Amino acid sequence: MTRLRPFALDRPASLEEVGALLAEHGADAALYAGGTELLLLLKAGLLRVQRLIDLKRVPGLADITADDGTVVLGATARHRTVERSALLRERCPLVAGVARHVANVRVRHVGTVGGNLAFADPHSDLATLFLALDAELTLWSRAGERRVALADFVRGPYETVRRDDEILTGVRLRPWPAGTVSAYLKFGVHERPSLGVALAATIGPDGAVAPARLAVGCVGPRPQRCPEFEREAAGRSVAELAGRAAALAEAAADAVETTGDLHGSADYKRDMTRVFVRRAIEIVAARAAGEDPHARYPYTVVV
Amino acid sequence: MPDIRTPSSCSLALTVNGRPVTLDVPAHALLLDVLRDRLGLKGAKRSCDIQVCGACTVLVDGAPVSACTYLAVEADGRAVLTVEGLADGERLDPLQEAFIEHGAVQCGFCTSGMLLSAKALLDEDPSPTPERVVQYLRGNLCRCTGYRKLVDAIVACGAARGGTA
Amino acid sequence: MRRGARGDGVSGPGPLRVVGQSVRRVDALEKVTGRARYVTDLELPGMLHVTLVRSPYAHARLVRLDTQAATGVPGVRAVVGSGDLTGCDPYFGPAFRDRPILAIDVVRYEGEPVVAVVADDEGAAAEAAALVDVAYEELPAVTTLEEALAPGAPLVHTAEPLAGHFADLSTLRAKPGTNICHQFDFERGRGAAAFADAHLILEDTYTFPRVQHYSMEPHAAVAAWNEAGELTVWASTQNPYSVRVELAKMFDVPLGRIRIVVPLLGGGFGGKTYAKLEPIVGALARMTGRPVRLALSAEEAFRTVRRCDARVRARLGFTREGLLLAAECDADFDVGAYADIGPRIIQKGTYTATGPYRVPHVRLHSNAVYTNTTPGGAFRGFGVPQLAWAIESVLDEAARRLDHDPVELRRQNLLAHGEEFAPGDAPIDGKFEESLNRAAHAIRWTQGAAADRGRGVAMMLKASIGPTVSEAIVRLHADASATVLASAVEMGQGARTVMAQIAAEVLAIPVGRVFVATPDTAVTPYDQTTSSSRSTTMTGRAVQEAAADVRDQLLHVASGRLGVPAARLRLEDGAVVGASERLAYPDVLEERFGMGGGELIGRGVVAPGRSAAPLGGSTPFWEMAVGAAEIVVDEETGAITVEKYVSVADVGRCINPLQCEAQDEGAVLQGLGHTLLEEMLYERGQLLNANLVDYRVPRAEDLPRVLECRFVENADGAGPFGAKGAGEGSLVPVAPAVGNALSRLTGVRLRELPLTPERVWRALRARRAGP
Repeated sequence: MTRLRPFALDRPASLEEVGALLAEHGADAALYAGGTELLLLLKAGLLRVQRLIDLKRVPGLADITADDGTVVLGATARHRTVERSALLRERCPLVAGVARHVANVRVRHVGTVGGNLAFADPHSDLATLFLALDAELTLWSRAGERRVALADFVRGPYETVRRDDEILTGVRLRPWPAGTVSAYLKFGVHERPSLGVALAATIGPDGAVAPARLAVGCVGPRPQRCPEFEREAAGRSVAELAGRAAALAEAAADAVETTGDLHGSADYKRDMTRVFVRRAIEIVAARAAGEDPHARYPYTVVV
Repeated sequence: MPDIRTPSSCSLALTVNGRPVTLDVPAHALLLDVLRDRLGLKGAKRSCDIQVCGACTVLVDGAPVSACTYLAVEADGRAVLTVEGLADGERLDPLQEAFIEHGAVQCGFCTSGMLLSAKALLDEDPSPTPERVVQYLRGNLCRCTGYRKLVDAIVACGAARGGTA
Repeated sequence: MRRGARGDGVSGPGPLRVVGQSVRRVDALEKVTGRARYVTDLELPGMLHVTLVRSPYAHARLVRLDTQAATGVPGVRAVVGSGDLTGCDPYFGPAFRDRPILAIDVVRYEGEPVVAVVADDEGAAAEAAALVDVAYEELPAVTTLEEALAPGAPLVHTAEPLAGHFADLSTLRAKPGTNICHQFDFERGRGAAAFADAHLILEDTYTFPRVQHYSMEPHAAVAAWNEAGELTVWASTQNPYSVRVELAKMFDVPLGRIRIVVPLLGGGFGGKTYAKLEPIVGALARMTGRPVRLALSAEEAFRTVRRCDARVRARLGFTREGLLLAAECDADFDVGAYADIGPRIIQKGTYTATGPYRVPHVRLHSNAVYTNTTPGGAFRGFGVPQLAWAIESVLDEAARRLDHDPVELRRQNLLAHGEEFAPGDAPIDGKFEESLNRAAHAIRWTQGAAADRGRGVAMMLKASIGPTVSEAIVRLHADASATVLASAVEMGQGARTVMAQIAAEVLAIPVGRVFVATPDTAVTPYDQTTSSSRSTTMTGRAVQEAAADVRDQLLHVASGRLGVPAARLRLEDGAVVGASERLAYPDVLEERFGMGGGELIGRGVVAPGRSAAPLGGSTPFWEMAVGAAEIVVDEETGAITVEKYVSVADVGRCINPLQCEAQDEGAVLQGLGHTLLEEMLYERGQLLNANLVDYRVPRAEDLPRVLECRFVENADGAGPFGAKGAGEGSLVPVAPAVGNALSRLTGVRLRELPLTPERVWRALRARRAGP
């Protein structure tokens, strides 16, 4: 359908008002910010609502702030704002860099971080990257506020633990400490990414990796951290990491859950995970040595 | 159950191509339809309808948006630029000239979206490299030209003037 | 038909002034300013909007239709099923009249229109459509060639359809009791018997995928009947005259009472040939007594038409020296649920299966096969890409086996200029070796490629459509401006500009003073179709002759007035000039009419007629192009990157070189689409990826780092100033050139398209694993 079915539009000025509207209208209402996912669902007839509750007038919801060592992305912050945020460029440069490559420039101007996470498209960059930043989502409701680790927030494709009366208000990221070298690689031919790999290695003064963080996304129902890889990598020098890159990548790929879909069969995705984890290690190792290999691979964005 | 057939009407005051416009639109109206059907600005086109192809691109406060998936109410209080607003009377924008000169126009259905996206790019990056142009145009599809002349036209425009006014 | 060449009387002596120049497109200004109008931009007073309710099943019986709830939605004017379409023949189709306007008793593909809702606005129509209740009884479906051709397969069509309106398809040959709706056979020499004498025989099977045109503008049409019982349809169509015939038969109305108007098309590529939406809007407009508009969404376009996928078994026999001796081909084309122009596609594709090479003994056979999927129709290349993918790949394999260079192997087998292709058909009208040499040179074929790069080359040959008719009128006005009336449709290829250039050249007036009218069957005369790369050659020739007719009138009148024989006069700069005389056109008209009014009207008719050629009419020109690709492969992911692509097309003469180049660049990218990226995916009869998120068309980043599209211009075509057709040829070699490059680089030979990273990856692994 190219037109939308009629709905009313509420523009509450506070979370309390949002909560009241949700309580009153329940499933007849949908939360709305950028609409880049929501309006598509409405057009496709996959969702039918009587009203949209616009979150964009709730103060502070779009802010990007630092809070006691954490960086908080307001849920209604646009991808474009994330890309240009001086705070993020300083504290979480990879986040700003990845935001630059979400979808296309129009979606980046309009779409929001919160909308992206709440929609939980398995083929998404942000969730993968945020997982490597130990992201916590804040969910506000009239009953109170709770924080949910991103790993627990996403249940599966398009499915989250957010209750109908809850509003995702922000994402709390734990910036990697100084001395962290990182890379994000996304691979795919299609419009949405087929594979996302986020790798961060914090290198201690003794030159040892402590810790490593690896998240792999888009290949399975949810983005995944790779705890075995992180355990294996911890304590090693960057050179060792690079030397064992193939084996480490293979082990990581074996541990990841992959599902076959339009983007490829499960075994292809597993092998691509192996390839791109290895490539990520190589890039991180080079960056740790102060070089940037400016690696380029077909259908791949390297951040 | 409210009668959803009664449109929730919103009063908009915006500028379109530099001119003030006031109109009432239902909340569910899409900017593309308001521009095309209410204001008679047919330049923006409906193609993929899912924000991928860019044929519906218009600029809102200088930012490119997919008008097919953008509520008209979001344009309230803002400045909208469509392809009809690029030329200054009969004087074409350098991008329009470049598209013609370089043979970057064939069926024309992607053209208005391409022009506005190119304008947004040049406003941000007055002399983009071909690589940058290609990257920026990820969201603008063309089935006729093969992109070669589109990229050439935009790069040439950037090189010539360092961006559009 | 006269062959064009400079100085032949039609072109006139002397250097060309505007033909051969890259003049600005006549429609460029309107397109860059947003003033260009397409069908979906039209608004008629009282216009109603249509939404179609489509079948969710690939094959099902229509059990019950409940439209009551839908009819009750405010703003709804009509909710129509096939049973409501009285007063017209509900079937249409150019080859078979097998396609119902709305499904009758049975639905034959997922997405087939079942019910039409007509309402005051799109919102009401959509809302009502959602309330239409259709009960189906699912039937077994066949959705692949294998399924459709299996013995005892369920039949997509059980009744014998009526033949459509084309002379060359009057001998449609179905295979009763099967899903084969047409067969084509072509033999030459001793046919397959000659393989006995071959030194080397290679045989292999290749498949070509289902892909969709994805014109940026989906199909659209607006129809209105007037009080006099005349129907006007504004249609996004490539052949208004074919649509007119269809509707005239359908509504039993004389041709003159059906008017098809074609504003600009936002792309066509063959997907907008022959009636598609015009029947339904015509019928609904008649029922409601109001103008009716139907604009498809992009998703619906995927459920309207697509390219015929194909499975081709190709067998080539060579002499010890590497000369082609024999060729055998069995091709199955999937034409989907309704034949559309499928029967002609299998003929056209198979006819030149052997490409631009000399093959004395040939046995070719192809089947047009129904399946319960989106109907297949014309798409740039028209059957030739499917065959060339197979033949050019087998040819390269033969080169490897014979230890011949692939370019050299092709070169030694090329048909020569003037050589016969088939008895009764036009002889070869190009020097193909020149194109091959230029492409090989541009890709630096004889210099070794870097170790990580592979190069491949491929060629193609296509016959254009024949017989056809093109008529044109040129009107020279009293102010020395002119109007061209010709029904070549502008879909981006630059037809209007070309016609303007031709007329301007012959009449010696500026291009800016030539106006090309919008195709309109009430105004612009008969033109068979805008397809088959024919417009410059055929419609252009008609325009040229019409302009020459005007020229002759100018010369005749001026001659009388000046007292100088016409042979000593010529046209120059808007005037008739002689050695020392000059009479401007306005003065010539004044002389002719005795007053400052009137116009000179010229007429051109190009109608070569039927011939003994195997396809019923001789091709007016041969379309031939060469493609050469240089690729790298990321073996770990299987991703192919085309670093460099060279296309050389033998076009006789580029009327507008920049537009020719632009067309061929587009053709190459579209070819890269089916080569690397595009594929319609079906699962149990459901189309899974009818949208741009899941169906991947080429983007700017898919542009090869180096893309060169060049032309051989020997003025050896039958078109104006020696022109031949262009625009389809360069698409065809892309897939085999890339496939050949892949094989030469990695040793891996893939037989299905697209060459996705995963397919290449899998083949590379198999190669590593060993035999």
